[in-house]
Amino acid sequence: MNAAEFKSVGKSYHGKEVLIDFSLAVEKGERIVLLGPSGCGKTTVLRLLAGFIAPTSGVISITGEIVAKDGRNFKEPEDRGLGMVFQDLALWPHMTAKENIEFGLKAKKIPDKERQERIRNIFGLLQIEDKINTKPSLLSGGQKQRVALARSLVLLPKILLMDEPLSSLDFELSFKLRAEILNLQKNFGFALLYVTHDLEEAFSIATKIVLMKNGRIDQIGSCGKMKQYFENIKTR
Amino acid sequence: MAKRLTLLFFVVLFLIIGLVPIAAMFLKTIYVDGHFTLRLYRALFDSSREWGLVGNSVMLAFFVTAAALSAGIPLGVVLSKTDLPFKSIFTFLFTIPLLLPPYITAIAWSYWVKKEIWFFGLPGCVLILSISFLPIVMFLTMAYLKSVNPGIEEAGKLLSGWFGVLKNITIPAIMPGILLSAVLVFLLTLGEFSVPNFLRYKVFSNESFTQFSAFYDFNAATVSTMPLLLIAFVILLFEAIFLHRKTQESYGMTPDSDRFLVIELKSSKKWIVILLSLASFILIVLPFAALVREALNLGILREALEKAGDSLLRSISYAGIGASILTVIGFFLGYLIYKKALPGWRGVDMLTLFFLALPSAVTGIGLIGFWNRPATNFIYGTPAIIILGYVACYTVLTSRMTISGLSQISSSIEEAAEISGIKWWRRVFGVLVPLMKRGLLASWLIAYIFCLRDVGVTMAVYPPAHDTLPIRIFTLMANASGSLIAGLCLIMILSTLLPFSLFMLSVPKKGMA
Repeated sequence: MNAAEFKSVGKSYHGKEVLIDFSLAVEKGERIVLLGPSGCGKTTVLRLLAGFIAPTSGVISITGEIVAKDGRNFKEPEDRGLGMVFQDLALWPHMTAKENIEFGLKAKKIPDKERQERIRNIFGLLQIEDKINTKPSLLSGGQKQRVALARSLVLLPKILLMDEPLSSLDFELSFKLRAEILNLQKNFGFALLYVTHDLEEAFSIATKIVLMKNGRIDQIGSCGKMKQYFENIKTR
Repeated sequence: MAKRLTLLFFVVLFLIIGLVPIAAMFLKTIYVDGHFTLRLYRALFDSSREWGLVGNSVMLAFFVTAAALSAGIPLGVVLSKTDLPFKSIFTFLFTIPLLLPPYITAIAWSYWVKKEIWFFGLPGCVLILSISFLPIVMFLTMAYLKSVNPGIEEAGKLLSGWFGVLKNITIPAIMPGILLSAVLVFLLTLGEFSVPNFLRYKVFSNESFTQFSAFYDFNAATVSTMPLLLIAFVILLFEAIFLHRKTQESYGMTPDSDRFLVIELKSSKKWIVILLSLASFILIVLPFAALVREALNLGILREALEKAGDSLLRSISYAGIGASILTVIGFFLGYLIYKKALPGWRGVDMLTLFFLALPSAVTGIGLIGFWNRPATNFIYGTPAIIILGYVACYTVLTSRMTISGLSQISSSIEEAAEISGIKWWRRVFGVLVPLMKRGLLASWLIAYIFCLRDVGVTMAVYPPAHDTLPIRIFTLMANASGSLIAGLCLIMILSTLLPFSLFMLSVPKKGMA
């Protein structure tokens, strides 16, 4: 069974189609990167899967269960079992790093003992133990990234959605965090749906790349196949 | 250079209009006959009666703030963040009491509840002032909600339902706005005297007026304003140090987000419509309908128009002139604050808010003490003194609206003109003003309504034969018949609501910047 699946999904705003006939299966443990220029519909795919918007047409399912179909969402975002790291990270500015992470655990009614255990573990894993009581405004860019990651991962999501999470970081830090994301994915085993417009970043993360253009899938394939595709474009 | 000089001119102008009279007034109370003395203050601090009145004022302000917050925050959330139908009708209905002098709402209620005992005293004051100031909480909640970064709510939506998101993320994110509204409601209640006067509840703000109007004792009146001034000052210091900093932090606010998450009410929609319809019907429609019924008689209306006479025209013209001056001063001070164009910009911002919060008796007495001399009789003895009072009290409204308008214009717009070699005045009138024209019109309208409804400062400063309509109604209230007062109130309501409704109808929903 696939972790998630899009079947002929379309989305339009005020009559303008931003996603057209989009079909994609996300297998368990797979790392899919959605690649493409601004406005090609990459983020819309993540927001549809998260349940923030409903598809105008088509079907979206998560672990075999239909969560949205033809203009209606059947499952609220909080009930979909997903994690998401936003482009601007969307850390809650009035909460400390720990409170940011604990909020979801409390919402899921995880018992206090287990909650503290999970928080300790995730802070240790991401090496931000000393920032546990710090508010986001006092964290560096890399530390904010780690808190955002910790917030998503502490709930053990089936699928992690990442919307250009490294776009605001310098190359060195971005490179380091990519390695950490891959490690975390290996440890936790979640499927990853990752949005970027950076080719190099896409190849370093993905097991499969979806190239999007004007709201449609232009190309889809493994890293090897897509490397070949881009080589061909260069030599053409 | 032109920019700095212009802004400096408006700062100095505001200081002369607002701060200098107040400072001079207090100097007079501590330098009596050329000697420093605290004699007058000692008498105040020794009087237990005065402290009892301060206690009454604080208790009233506390209850009104609590009630306005309890109703205003949910109302603001429901009217801005949900898919409720008839939102603009509910918003309009709940806004009406803010547009009128609070005592007119009290009069309207008195026609509805008749002589019910509970209505007089503290409960009635809390009810009327809560209804009058609730829109402040409602509007600030709505405005801050529009600025919340939808990303932080979406991040919460992945973990919790809307109730949890509102409770744990959205409301804490707009807490600076909520606290600011609480500060405003508290201070405005503290300075309010017309409703407690009408409903016979003794508060401290009446004390200053009594000292001033009954005994004409300037020093005693000044000293009696001290407790309220101190409370206002402490609370505003708290706002400046704590809230202002918080508002400046990112706090999840985004000025130009094109996304806004809407809560779908689903099955609870009809219940909320019923609840809000009932609330607006009981709190607003019924009392004002009772007032209209009392006034709806041709003879009464003719008499009311005669009695209102030239005071209606004066109200409209003073409010129009005041609003125009306020829009200009507010624009330049707002620009100064938003662009941090001069050192001390924060002080200017604080000062404008301070004068709104300052009990109007204090401002009025300060203005009279300062301008009442032969050389300045051309101000003291003419409506100019009323206009100065409006400027001192209400500049914060137009400066904050300018700030809001400027925040919606990308800074690169002015920078692009700057780099093209366009001088500041041309940038202001060629770029900023055209972009902000709707916002400036809204700013003028708000200033107009606040000048039109003003009782406090006008009551203190108006020269003989220059009373405005709210003052005339207030002074006639004790002796005139109930129907005549209702007729006068109806004229006042129409002169306020007509321009407001015309503006609301003429401005498209988008593009208020």
